[in-house]
Amino acid sequence: MITGELHEPTDLAQAADLLARFPGRARLLAGGTDLIVDLKSARTSAEHLVSLNRIESLRGIENQSGLRIGAMTTIAEIERSPLIGGPFVALREAARQMASPQVRHLATIGGNIASAVPCADLPPVLGVLDAALVLWSPGGSRRVALTEFFIGPRQTIRREEELLVAILVPAPRPRFGAAYERFALREGNSIAVASVAASLTLGRNDSITAARIMLGAVAPVPLPVRDAEPVLCGRRLDEGIDRAAEVAMEAAQPISDVRGSAAFRRRLVGVLTRRALRAAHQRAREASHD
Amino acid sequence: MTDLRTLHINGEARPVAIGPGATLLDVLRDTLRLTGTRKGCDEGDCGACTVLVDGNPMNACLLLAATLEGREITTIEGLAAGGELTPLQRAFVEEGAVQCGFCTSGMILSSTALLRDHPHASRAEILHALSGNLCRCTGYGAILRAVERCTGRCEQCANGGPGAARSAPHAGGHASNGSGAAATNALCSVGKPVPRVDAADKVTGRAVYTADIALPNMVHGGILFSPIAHGLIRRIDTSRAQALPGVLTVITGADVPQNTYGVSPARYDEEVLARTKVRHVGDPVAAVAAVDEVTARRALGLIDVEYEELPAVLDALEAVKPGAPLVHDRYERNINTHVAHHFGDVEAAFAASHHVREEVFTGNFVYQCPMEPQAAVAFWEHDGRLVLYSSTQAPHYVQYMLAHVFRMPLGRVRVIRPCVGGGFGVKAATNPLEVCSAVLSRKIGRPVRLVFSRSDMFHYYRGRHKQHMRFKLGVDAEGRITAFRSEIHLDGGAYSSFGVATAYYAGSMIPTLYKIPNYRYDGLRVMTNKPACGAMRGHGVPQPRFAFECLLNMVAEDLGIDPMEIRRRNAMTPQTRTVNDLDIGSCEFRATIDEVERESHWREKYGHLPPGRGIGVASGGFVSGAGYCIYRGQVQTQHEKGPEHFQKKSVFPHANAVIRVSEDGMAAFLMIGAAEIGQGSDTILVQIAAEAMGIPHERVHMKSEDSDISPLDLGSYSSRVTLMAGNAVAAAGAALLERLRPFAASLLGCAEADVRARDGACFAAGDPSRTIEWAEAARRYFNEHGPLVATGCYKPPDGLGGDYKGATVGTSPAYSFGTCACELTVDLETGKVRFERFTDSHDCGTPINPQQVHGQVEGAIVMGAGEAVMEDVQFDERGRILNPNLHGYLIMTIKDAPEIFSGIVDSYEPNGPYGAKEIGEGATLPVMGAVAHAIRNATGVWIKDLPITPEKILAALDQRARAEGPTGQATSAHEVPVGAGP
Repeated sequence: MITGELHEPTDLAQAADLLARFPGRARLLAGGTDLIVDLKSARTSAEHLVSLNRIESLRGIENQSGLRIGAMTTIAEIERSPLIGGPFVALREAARQMASPQVRHLATIGGNIASAVPCADLPPVLGVLDAALVLWSPGGSRRVALTEFFIGPRQTIRREEELLVAILVPAPRPRFGAAYERFALREGNSIAVASVAASLTLGRNDSITAARIMLGAVAPVPLPVRDAEPVLCGRRLDEGIDRAAEVAMEAAQPISDVRGSAAFRRRLVGVLTRRALRAAHQRAREASHD
Repeated sequence: MTDLRTLHINGEARPVAIGPGATLLDVLRDTLRLTGTRKGCDEGDCGACTVLVDGNPMNACLLLAATLEGREITTIEGLAAGGELTPLQRAFVEEGAVQCGFCTSGMILSSTALLRDHPHASRAEILHALSGNLCRCTGYGAILRAVERCTGRCEQCANGGPGAARSAPHAGGHASNGSGAAATNALCSVGKPVPRVDAADKVTGRAVYTADIALPNMVHGGILFSPIAHGLIRRIDTSRAQALPGVLTVITGADVPQNTYGVSPARYDEEVLARTKVRHVGDPVAAVAAVDEVTARRALGLIDVEYEELPAVLDALEAVKPGAPLVHDRYERNINTHVAHHFGDVEAAFAASHHVREEVFTGNFVYQCPMEPQAAVAFWEHDGRLVLYSSTQAPHYVQYMLAHVFRMPLGRVRVIRPCVGGGFGVKAATNPLEVCSAVLSRKIGRPVRLVFSRSDMFHYYRGRHKQHMRFKLGVDAEGRITAFRSEIHLDGGAYSSFGVATAYYAGSMIPTLYKIPNYRYDGLRVMTNKPACGAMRGHGVPQPRFAFECLLNMVAEDLGIDPMEIRRRNAMTPQTRTVNDLDIGSCEFRATIDEVERESHWREKYGHLPPGRGIGVASGGFVSGAGYCIYRGQVQTQHEKGPEHFQKKSVFPHANAVIRVSEDGMAAFLMIGAAEIGQGSDTILVQIAAEAMGIPHERVHMKSEDSDISPLDLGSYSSRVTLMAGNAVAAAGAALLERLRPFAASLLGCAEADVRARDGACFAAGDPSRTIEWAEAARRYFNEHGPLVATGCYKPPDGLGGDYKGATVGTSPAYSFGTCACELTVDLETGKVRFERFTDSHDCGTPINPQQVHGQVEGAIVMGAGEAVMEDVQFDERGRILNPNLHGYLIMTIKDAPEIFSGIVDSYEPNGPYGAKEIGEGATLPVMGAVAHAIRNATGVWIKDLPITPEKILAALDQRARAEGPTGQATSAHEVPVGAGP
């Protein structure tokens, strides 16, 4: 049963007012696909629900030397947007694999990030795309790297008065490719058991000039594997891929649950890292040289 | 607080009072009474509540209604404008895409949104769009065919009607060889793919399920379940709950009838509410009735129960050890049932065998997971009669059990079965909702509705027993079985439920498929502090059948005999008495092996596929109805009646039908208590009645839901309805025609014996050119005699089975047989299994409705395949379920479903109506064995522990790699099967 008062602000200032008026007692409601279920089961409670659904400025995708995605943009909109292609196609792939079509029409990119669930699908991809988050409060806004945002399961550096308003993805470098590999126990409407996003930028002779790997569902937070970057940079993929996969496996901090044991998850990280790197590499090679 | 808001629903502005936390689903169903939007999980996992918001499919259970002002909402009720079905709805009806119907509203809305955006959607787009709509009945094949038909992409059906559509590629094709072709061709309704009689109501959302029923003055109840696995109830304080405004009553074990109940008369060990002891997490402890669901739920949270926790026993193999905690004092060493069936001399036969192999297999806890949660609505008439609406698959046993609990004659209990959204066995036993709603209603004098949540369903369970199996098989040099020994511990959970029968079935059905001259079965059903296990599709047999088929395939490998060939060499033959005294009648088992071998391209594939790809085979079959009733003796009329001695005959008919023809002769009402739960029994019984009377099936109207109207039928379990209810209906139809005969004869001017009826006309044999209207003869009858009514009944043959203890379980008037090949891919790095294709062939006698046969086969294969690789109820060390929901307990989505070829071999069963026997349960039995074999074929490893998860496959591959050592020789996944067999 869901109790609590519903508020539907139509702009950011109203939302900020509500958060200021009910400190510690208000919850932000985006797509609601997690929060409504948690409220029904009394896993969480809220005296005040502040819905962000009527704030139009939080919706939409723009591409002006990089993507700006409003936090209330739904996963389905990302899945279908012609702007989410080319170098950003891994984001579409992650969106397509997430949950069910019905949930994707409700769930938002902001919610997928801000709820800070370790198995969320979009953060690993956004991480390897070097995405930044725009956190807004009446005092001003700040940008933080997505990889710095998470501090624990369902915990982030977002301050109570702040709203996640947009996700910024920088314009692609030439010869850049990213990919997302995910393992789940069934094909449709599934939760990731382990996921790996990887991106590569290639230089002359296909040597790697920049590399990113980020893991999902195998640590308390979506986990960037920074130690893998020096293993790959300055080398061709074949020279670094095995070691990078090992580093990713070492970095993972998986738990055992109904979906799989920690050891199984760690092993998946190795397999998925290799696959993600190969797919990203392929895309980087196919990317235009200009 | 509650505000008046305006929602735009199906093109109408609806002012509606909405509480702040009310979901769209609850507002639609409870306030606006648009119950076509179904509540299957209330957590966004199942898709049954899918609605369109501004044209996009969304889960109504995840939307706060108050946030939807200004948005355009479309529910299933908004589609068929003016009562005309949309092309998509029509396709669902005609393709057989509807079974229980509970997922149908959501499926149709998701498909509608897809086709609006992508009128020529590809198959991949359809699978993607429907992946959030779970279906437990159809296996998705017919749903895909229905949607593809509307895209104009389905080649086979582009130019054809419904009949032509049934070989859409996803199904890989269907083959009905149309046994007894001459006889079948003479029939008008039987043997035809008649669309379901309830399909139109289900595609429009009009179908009413129990939770949709709202009676005047009705209130809502809730049940408090034990949070601990084993403990004594020291104190229950209900005062805080009683004091909550809106609470009408709170009951505990002290306030309810003290009669225990259950399934097997010798083991009624379930209390209405626990009085002194709880035995599993989820044991019912107290119940409330309140003015609304929210208040009822809140009241449950205010009941204070003090428990003294006892050590729990959670493992069947531990539970039988001396000193283990006792779940019930009456079951020594926690042994609930002990079966010792010894036929012949297995030890001597093993000693004389050419080859003997012994293996240990383990099953899993598999939950039936119907899409519709159980629900009950009870009220009491002024004269003290109880009326119960319930989502049950065995209304008569519910009626019987309520009469027992309340100590009333059977005739004072009326059970009404609305539409049932799937059962698969979980709705076969009387449940706490049925009993508690009646107790609560009697106490407060108002109708009470109780509904399980998805989590409650898992905690009530009554799913499959987990079986620990040690099997030993001996064969001669040609692979002919010489002896088989089976030792099984069945983990039964905390109550008997169906478990006694389960323990017998686990042994009795093995010898029905192959000739086994020496057979020994020792079975122990063991109590543990987990929810009770019960009867699930294939009742007790699927896990032993999986294990046996694996062992047979292992032995075939050992001897270098092709798996198809070893089956042929041992296959059951018609008119055979098995070693455990079961009488096999019709049997075309070998034909099913041959068809699967041919259609699966077995010879080209087995042993010739690259690593990571595999093909496997297994067989199975089932009873067409249990030979004996669950309780003994005569139908109960008084609770005081003492137990009767067992007789080797049925004292009363198991199925009974009445047909009444309308006064104008244009309609016939078929009354029989057979339980339509989605499997299609209403439709095939209408076909049979129509055929027997000689009128079109459109004129026959089914009245199966009300025990006051429809005579006793034992219900939908043991795959009994087609054969038993079908025979009763055929008899009633024939009797009715006899009554009509003199009137038709006088109108035709022919001898009575020469009157023939067909498709609504009567004519004289030998002169079909001159006809009279069947209805005209019926009108004449009414004018002279009043109502034209006839009855029919069916009793299984006397004397079925042997003379040993437990010989009744496994008896049946007829047995089905089937074989299934599975083709799949295994990702050797992750262990992930991807099903490619199943090829199934079945001897189900002569089908009454081939479309429904294929629907059962497709559903059984998808359920069985999921059971083999992903379904598993998991418990923690304190007996709590870790995955009591549809995102933790996984059933296959449309994206997981394989391509299926479903074949029906020529067969005619003399004991069945028009030659028919069962399909629904038998089709599930070969599946798990075929999957395990295909995985072995793809990877080189046998996994003997269900479910066969990716993790287990990788572990087995590792173990093999270690055994082979660092040199890594013999790494081919195909070292065994290549070139095997003649």
